[in-house]
Amino acid sequence: MGSANLRLSRRQVLGIAAGGVVGAVGFRYLTLQLPGGSQQVASAAGPAGAWSSPLSNATGLAAHLLRRATFGYTADQLETAASMPYPDLVDMVLNQAAEPLPPVADPTDYQAVVRAWYEHMATTPAQFPERMTLFWHGLLTSDYRKAARLPFVLQQNELYRSMGRGDFRTLINAVTYDPLMIRYLDLEESTAAAPNENYSRELMELFTLGVGNYTETDVREGARAFSGIRTVLVDAAGKRTQPPKAKGSSPAEYAQAVEQLLAQGAAFKGVLAKNQHDSGSKTLLGHTGNLDPAQALDIILAQPSCAPHIARLALEQFCAPNPSTALITSVATPFRAGNYDIKTLMRTIFTSEAFTSPGAYRSLVRGPAEYMVASMRALARPDLAAASMRSGAGMDQILYDMPTVAGWPSNQGWVSSGAWLARLNFAAAAIASERTFPDPVDAVKVQLDGVVGPDTATVFNASEGDGDRWYALLASPEFQLK
Amino acid sequence: MITRRDFMVSGITATGVGIIVPPVFAQSVFAATMEDVHNDRVLVILQLGGGNDGLNTVVPYADPGYLQARPNIGIPSDKVLPLNAEIGLNPVMPGMKKLFDAGEVALVQGVGYPNPVYSHFEGLYIWEHADPTMQQTDGWLGKLLASQLDSQGHPLAGCALGQASTPAELLAQNATVSVIDSIPTYQVEGGAGRRVAAPALYKRTPGIYGAIFDEALSTAEYGIAALADSQSRCTPSVTYTPQSTVYGSKNSLATSLQLTAEMIVTQPSVKVCHVVLGGFDTHQDEDTRQNALLAYVDSAVSAFMQDIANHGMADRVVLMTWSEFGRRVVENGGKGTDHGAAAPIFVVGKPVQGGVFGEQPSLTSTVDSGNLKYNIDFRSVYQTLIRDWLQADPASVLGSSFPELPIIKTA
Repeated sequence: MGSANLRLSRRQVLGIAAGGVVGAVGFRYLTLQLPGGSQQVASAAGPAGAWSSPLSNATGLAAHLLRRATFGYTADQLETAASMPYPDLVDMVLNQAAEPLPPVADPTDYQAVVRAWYEHMATTPAQFPERMTLFWHGLLTSDYRKAARLPFVLQQNELYRSMGRGDFRTLINAVTYDPLMIRYLDLEESTAAAPNENYSRELMELFTLGVGNYTETDVREGARAFSGIRTVLVDAAGKRTQPPKAKGSSPAEYAQAVEQLLAQGAAFKGVLAKNQHDSGSKTLLGHTGNLDPAQALDIILAQPSCAPHIARLALEQFCAPNPSTALITSVATPFRAGNYDIKTLMRTIFTSEAFTSPGAYRSLVRGPAEYMVASMRALARPDLAAASMRSGAGMDQILYDMPTVAGWPSNQGWVSSGAWLARLNFAAAAIASERTFPDPVDAVKVQLDGVVGPDTATVFNASEGDGDRWYALLASPEFQLK
Repeated sequence: MITRRDFMVSGITATGVGIIVPPVFAQSVFAATMEDVHNDRVLVILQLGGGNDGLNTVVPYADPGYLQARPNIGIPSDKVLPLNAEIGLNPVMPGMKKLFDAGEVALVQGVGYPNPVYSHFEGLYIWEHADPTMQQTDGWLGKLLASQLDSQGHPLAGCALGQASTPAELLAQNATVSVIDSIPTYQVEGGAGRRVAAPALYKRTPGIYGAIFDEALSTAEYGIAALADSQSRCTPSVTYTPQSTVYGSKNSLATSLQLTAEMIVTQPSVKVCHVVLGGFDTHQDEDTRQNALLAYVDSAVSAFMQDIANHGMADRVVLMTWSEFGRRVVENGGKGTDHGAAAPIFVVGKPVQGGVFGEQPSLTSTVDSGNLKYNIDFRSVYQTLIRDWLQADPASVLGSSFPELPIIKTA
């Protein structure tokens, strides 16, 4: 392509105050003059130092939604989205049917699963289901380690994809019996005689209620209610069968044996082993009875703190970095009233004023996986899945290997000197192997709404080839935000 | 809102190798080296993430209640490495035993705080912010750096090593923290053009994250420059010789601590380093899992101390371990232990006054149905390290004063 030339408008240059408090550097209009004399002017002046929000126009708002509800978009997808009334666009996104993960060569190899997932995130048209799969993975966490050489990572990934947009009660019941979760939070050996508190505690603290909304006694009583959950292998007819023996077989032989079982319709599933379950009377959150896991979950989900807890986490990922109590309540109330319907939760968020008002523009930081997949989609390079897996560690996000059971940080928690170098170096690696590039000037319009700060414009303008221009775009602060 | 330091706008000069070094760094590095006062007192924080079980780390082997509470995972008295007639180390810790015998380990028993919490995340918050009321928003080390240790704003004064995120202890308004996973990857990759373009993208970023983004990139830019600068400009040249045999079998902690040694040896401005080893949340199979982790700690800390000594810096480094809580006295049904309260911590180094400080908490007179009562507030350890080791003022960091422990040798 010809020489791209983005010029800062005179007004913008004049608007840059020298020095001053960082974060209030004082330019109001972020305007780029694009080649061919067409000038795209951001729609409104923001407060001093703020990005100029394009959310009052249809294209700006559609791009904003797609950056948050999906992993990114092409120019065509954005055009289609922008042509729809916004509520219809939200419904279209919410109602996307999930596409299954393509077959993974070795389902016992979690890295193969993660790689397939990265490719899928980058390629599937069913973007919202993948984004929700990642959301639930970050909230209802599990890591790969205790899966040993069993296909549990794949199975949990499929669970979150298939149930992540239904209702939360069904989801959390399924999670309680999910083989990877059973291992990760130590339900596997929890017995009536010696219940293990790990799942009970993290379920209430992190997955449902939040700290302060239960007591240590509730943790111990809950552990009794969740005792006795075990993973079994059942064949296609539903009859229990034995998993292949890992000992004495090579990894390849073992993987093959597991694959063969799965191909024949066998599946691992969680069950309640009656002889290991404490069926005695318990008192959980003020309710007494011979509680089993489903009853315990009903009691937990009846707590007034449950819907706000999930609403807050969803808002931090999809709407606002520090949601106010009023915003949390306004989102939690229809979620709870709608019997924990997840699409209701997300529709309320996406159509809220907090989401569509100018202050929401670029108010969230893309997580590393979001950033890398958005890069892959912008460049149409799903082959960067392997590079994404390698690069995630430096940005502190390895899928199925989170730092703690609380999942990953969000927004400014992602920012550190090392993590930012890792992001920029991912951009460099993504550009290094590419020979022909999509038009970078179009990409500035489509991916960055044409709203670009002075540094990005300067570096972009000083670039001599499309590779350098794409580096400026992918490494820019604008592209790290959503 | 984070404000940038004066040094970041005080002008830049180019060095012969094409790396931008702000003069203030070059001067401070140079001056410190010339006067031979550089990193005279370094504090290394080793976080044991997940809640390390103190009772199977420092075993009260003479108390019959110990094996009664832990019939499956208890360590028999003939296996422990005795420190005195009451307590002994887990047998996977011969290196720590050797350091203890050499008088280089202060073992502080029964460390905790009033009204213990059993949530990982509340426990972390309390230790990271030195505040059981969870009101403070700045990490204690970040506050110490910004207010007292880092008056030059040097990017390498506070380092999180072998990791990618800023630990909350170091996170504070005005605290500059370098987060370095490894030195070879801590650079702008992709060639000379990228090394110019990358920092240029982050000078005047608008929006609510603008200052935070720009601070991260500036810290990286100047940290990279300082790392390169020390190789060429220090007189006499300070070189780190990798001691691969010292570290023996590699684990992630050994890698992090070797990086820490390299940073301390080669970087005159390093004052506080943070490393972490996770996995101590041993609700299940504690006997095998905690032993493996403690063996890592033992070999990595021993190797680190040896490495530092081999470079003639043993007098300059003190290492402290901590964990968000200890674990329940009575084991659970999965050969593990659930979340507990007080636990011992180790303070290690040649400047340390060795010995056992504080009492082993009772196994029977417990708090919240079966958790150890603390008898030394963790802020006593912080206060001692701030005043006696780093020679700074603890009051501005801790708010109030705590009894000090005689764990640092007086000169």
